[in-house]
Amino acid sequence: MNHPSGVPSLRRRGGVAVPWLALAATAIGCASVSPERGHDQVAALVAQRTGHKTRWEKGPPDAEAIARWVRMLTAAGLTGDRVVEIALVNNPDLQSVYEELGVSQADMVQAGLLRNPSFGADLGFRVRSGENSELRLSLVQDFLDLFVLPQRKQIAQQQFEADTLRVADRALETATEAEKDFLAAQAAVELVAFRRTVVAASEGAFALAQRQFDAGNISELERATQQPTHEQAALDLARDEMSLLEARERINRRLGLWGETTSWAFADTLPPLPAVDPAVDQLEMFALQRRLDVAVARRQAALLAKAVELARSTRLLGRLEVGVDAHQDPNGPRVIGPNLVIELPLFDQRQAVIARLEAQKRQQERHLLAVSIDARSEVRVASARVRVSRQAVLRYRDGLLPLRQTVLQQTLLQYNGMLAGLYQLLAAKQGEADARRGYLESLRDYWSARADLARAVGGSLPEGGHHHEP
Amino acid sequence: MSHERKSITAATDGETCVLSRRALLLAGATGGALAAASPARGAAATIAASPERAPSPGRAVRDYLPVTVPNGAKLPWKLVGGVKVFHLVAGEVDHEMAPGLKALCWGYNGRVHGPLIEAVEGDRVRIYVTNRLPAATTVHWHAILTPNGMDGVGGLTQKAIQPGETFKYEFTLRQWGTAMYHSHHDEMTQIGLGMTGLFVIHPRRPQRPVDRDFAIMLHEWRIDPGARRPNPNEMVEFNVLTMNARAFPGTAPLVVRTGQRVRVRIGNLSPMDHHPIHLHGHQFRVTETDGGPVAESAQWPETTVLVPTGSTRTIEFVAHEPGDWAMHCHMTHHVMNQMGHGTPNLIGVQPGNLDQQMEAVVPGYMTMGQTGMADMADMGMAVPANSIPMLGGKGKHDVITMGGMFTVLKVRDGIRGYGDPGWYDGPAGDTARAAVADDLRRDGIDAERPAPVEDQSPTG
Repeated sequence: MNHPSGVPSLRRRGGVAVPWLALAATAIGCASVSPERGHDQVAALVAQRTGHKTRWEKGPPDAEAIARWVRMLTAAGLTGDRVVEIALVNNPDLQSVYEELGVSQADMVQAGLLRNPSFGADLGFRVRSGENSELRLSLVQDFLDLFVLPQRKQIAQQQFEADTLRVADRALETATEAEKDFLAAQAAVELVAFRRTVVAASEGAFALAQRQFDAGNISELERATQQPTHEQAALDLARDEMSLLEARERINRRLGLWGETTSWAFADTLPPLPAVDPAVDQLEMFALQRRLDVAVARRQAALLAKAVELARSTRLLGRLEVGVDAHQDPNGPRVIGPNLVIELPLFDQRQAVIARLEAQKRQQERHLLAVSIDARSEVRVASARVRVSRQAVLRYRDGLLPLRQTVLQQTLLQYNGMLAGLYQLLAAKQGEADARRGYLESLRDYWSARADLARAVGGSLPEGGHHHEP
Repeated sequence: MSHERKSITAATDGETCVLSRRALLLAGATGGALAAASPARGAAATIAASPERAPSPGRAVRDYLPVTVPNGAKLPWKLVGGVKVFHLVAGEVDHEMAPGLKALCWGYNGRVHGPLIEAVEGDRVRIYVTNRLPAATTVHWHAILTPNGMDGVGGLTQKAIQPGETFKYEFTLRQWGTAMYHSHHDEMTQIGLGMTGLFVIHPRRPQRPVDRDFAIMLHEWRIDPGARRPNPNEMVEFNVLTMNARAFPGTAPLVVRTGQRVRVRIGNLSPMDHHPIHLHGHQFRVTETDGGPVAESAQWPETTVLVPTGSTRTIEFVAHEPGDWAMHCHMTHHVMNQMGHGTPNLIGVQPGNLDQQMEAVVPGYMTMGQTGMADMADMGMAVPANSIPMLGGKGKHDVITMGGMFTVLKVRDGIRGYGDPGWYDGPAGDTARAAVADDLRRDGIDAERPAPVEDQSPTG
């Protein structure tokens, strides 16, 4: 397995779990890092929207335990649900994304720490005899932190929450992609099966043409005209088989599979068209309320607003150093006394920093608007695609496919009466296989469109739906 | 044919013969030369002007032996003021071509083809035609000498009869022989859908009396297996060939007693094909065409008569040989029923493992046709609805591998009625059968030896 590198290990085992809201309320929070903080939140968001566990709610699970679990699931054969479950736990990219929570949490802890005091020592050695050496000691603490710490912690806290949402969003994205990959692979398996039928049919025509030629019944021209169809069909089959292999490999990559676990089998086929499509009323508002990328953008905008506020409120606060000096005059008594250094904000009053932050805040607001507009459009496109692909499935299922089957049955009857020949019969068979392929592709597209729609509205579709069929 | 009785007329020209007889019959000719020059008008005018001098309407049995129409029907008439009144009703007909094959055709009075009209030379006929078709139509009296306005050519001699209309045709029959009637409006469609019929006119005085007088109308259709309506657009590939609108095995036999004189009138209004009709076991003479009688001196002996489309041919013979004699069109594709003309030629093809190979693709697939079509008579396999096998009818010995324009002349000794007498039971010694070993030995026939053949040299 790949391990994300370069991430400092800040975790300490056995850290106390701090409730999410309590954390936000604490002015000077715990100065330690806990492995599950953030993960439980991500797990809750993912479970609520996909119905699957990330298994990271207690922090990164034990690698060996995961490997065992993945072996068990793949050995049982893959289903749409299992694929999502494995992807959430074992997708390598997603695992490195989960680790971002650790990074973000470390930043948050860092923001809550006071700057360490500095200790200084001056030592004066005599140059001439008769003079004394001098020692001066100082302990200085920068107290600016004390004023800004609560605000700084709040900002870091919000940044952490935004990161949590971003990670959850990536998890949802991974789940959707895994689901779509599996649909494509399920379709690819059956497409290959139908293509094999076509190849078998063309093989029959090929053989018959050869036998007719051997019997002297057709010219070489006719034989050569009849036979290339088979070669073409065989080439098409090879292409379809390659597509299936690629579809399986996409799943292997998505699920982080290698070695023996790549020999998984399909445990179910594409589900038939459901009677109900998701309800599409108010779907745009629903999406804006639930989409995590919108939530992240919203939070980032709020966060920058707070940062601008902080910069404004501390613009006249320069460095403030309070310390203790202790020094011993050579001939005098030891003196110990306070020492104060105040930065005078004459030139730098944070105006540049503030301007920069304000620009960033406006930028983030624009970004929020763009994300929202995109989200609305994505919802409209995805729901249209669900509707249109349902129509395509119905047209294949209730129209084209039954017609092709009728053509095949009737051609068979005509063949029985020697009114049609084998070539015509095989052409009818090929027509039926092509219609089956079309039906399967449209069914795949339908489920894929549904997965896209669920993703577009933030992970899961609202309850209830539109009945399209009696 | 030595059995033929000599025709009353000694004229060698059929046309002249008809005219002189008409002149004789129709109340004093206005002059032979004039009659010969313009027979029709003069004669018709004479009859119309002086009906009391017209011959009385002909009656069956008294004046003629009624025609037998196997599988067919006749058009009834009633006498109204000395005129034979007929009523033809053109309309759609659900017709059975053979058991298992029905088609929505166009015909007359619920029949396809129309009922045979039978009358006698000199009769005045009035024929009402009601059109119950969705299209306009007319009736043309093919080969009948009528006033021009009664000729029934849509647009040329009359307005077409619109749907729902009834037209009246009226004329005097100034000839005898085998004529026909058919639509002369959009012929391709209307004849293609079956709108034809026979029109037999008996001579006022029998010319060559016969014991059995049959009438058969030939036709060809394109009815795709599984379809319910003939396709009149077909020009070449007809797949249902009929005698009196029936395809074998749906044709009724012609039953005669041994020694009887037999006449068979054959009309052909097939859209596109002439038919050489061949009779087994007999020689016959062609005694009439739709143009009139053929002078005896001009009659050829034949066993096959070519009946061109748009013509009638009448043949006569004595049925001297008992048996079941085939009578059929000799065009091989005309003795087939619905078949696929575009199927691959599989004669001599070795299927090898093709059937196993196809099992996965088409369960139950079986290669057929490597030895021809004879096995196709009835394989008991499911075939398209409303279709019949391309050939095959039950015979006494085996399947009769024929279809289409095929019927049987059944000649029997001493029968009392003309119902179907069943299969002929001939003397055992007169039936071909598998040769026995003794015969083969006696005659030095070795079936295993190379087949004997004598190549020709230039000296013969």
